[in-house]
Amino acid sequence: MDASITTLPFPAVVGEGTRARTRVDHKTSDEAALVRRVQARDEMAFREVVERYQSKVFSIIFGILRNRNDAEDIAQQVFAKVYFSIKNFDFRSSLLTWIYKITVNECYDYLRKKRVRKLVYESDFSQEDAQRMEASEPAVDGSVPADTRLAQRDLILKLLSKVSEEERSLILLKEVEGHSVEELAGMTGLNENTIKVKLFRTRQKLLRAAGRLTRVR
Amino acid sequence: MHREIRDHIEDVLAGSRPDTLQHTREHLAECGECRGEVRDMQEQTALLQALRAPEDFSADLRPGFYARVMERIEAEGPISIWNLFIESAFGRRIAMASLALALLIGVYVVTAERSAEDSIIALQAPLGASPQTVVAGEDAPAREISQVDQLQTDQSSEDAVLANLVTYREQ
Repeated sequence: MDASITTLPFPAVVGEGTRARTRVDHKTSDEAALVRRVQARDEMAFREVVERYQSKVFSIIFGILRNRNDAEDIAQQVFAKVYFSIKNFDFRSSLLTWIYKITVNECYDYLRKKRVRKLVYESDFSQEDAQRMEASEPAVDGSVPADTRLAQRDLILKLLSKVSEEERSLILLKEVEGHSVEELAGMTGLNENTIKVKLFRTRQKLLRAAGRLTRVR
Repeated sequence: MHREIRDHIEDVLAGSRPDTLQHTREHLAECGECRGEVRDMQEQTALLQALRAPEDFSADLRPGFYARVMERIEAEGPISIWNLFIESAFGRRIAMASLALALLIGVYVVTAERSAEDSIIALQAPLGASPQTVVAGEDAPAREISQVDQLQTDQSSEDAVLANLVTYREQ
């Protein structure tokens, strides 16, 4: 990435062909009723939330950490956090968006605590894991060796730690989960133009962070 | 980055909307600066997409996941307000700052009381009394006062004797 990135202007707030949709009302959906039951400490409702989102949460964590055992442990921690914090859920976004944010934060907490973000992989990865990853990684380039891919993953995780929690969740929902701008608007309760501006700012910040990192190196 | 690209960057990166792409493709063919920035963003996007779980990844958790979550919840218990001070770095800083403030106030109060006592003692001491006298306590000034009284009494006796002599000579 180019190290000489200067401050780039934002996209026009009202651009050609953009549609500023009205906010999705997350207070009246079926999901909202479920959340209210969890907030009232209904254990059956909480069980439903866990069963509905456990696979999603697990795959998000695995995507970031590539370690199955730790992924399950962190998934448990995510749902414990959901249980204790659900009373603060304000229905401005979808439940999935909120859980997604908690999940990504927990992954970063985990990486921070281990203080081996650089190579959490080296210490935790067995040879077998590395080979499995080599075979199954949705590679940027199939010809790239596994250690280079690990270094690239390390780099992007480092860069993502330089942006805010909101920006991190948004860019991951877009690029990792594959949601469109329209879908993100519906999930977050923001309008499409705001989403575009936020995504553009995040991309700029990531490029600047990459520039600083390469200058330091 | 020029507006032609900036406004459609998400479409450019996603490779969607051919009508938009035609317009942007023309601009990118002419503008090296935009071309470079788009290339950087494409590389970044590819790196981000490498964080996707593999397609053949089985997200099936071991049976009993919900039970393990509930065990953890029971072990952690409800969040107490005290946990915020004990567990979070911010809380610990607040606690340390409060402790330091309490210590400062304590030192100030003790110092202020001592200097107030010293002032009272200094006011009570007679003029000309040495600091040693003041510190030594109340006996010493009492002795000094009685010596002054004695001197005054001797002076009056002397006056009385002189008065008698004068009276005797007149007689």
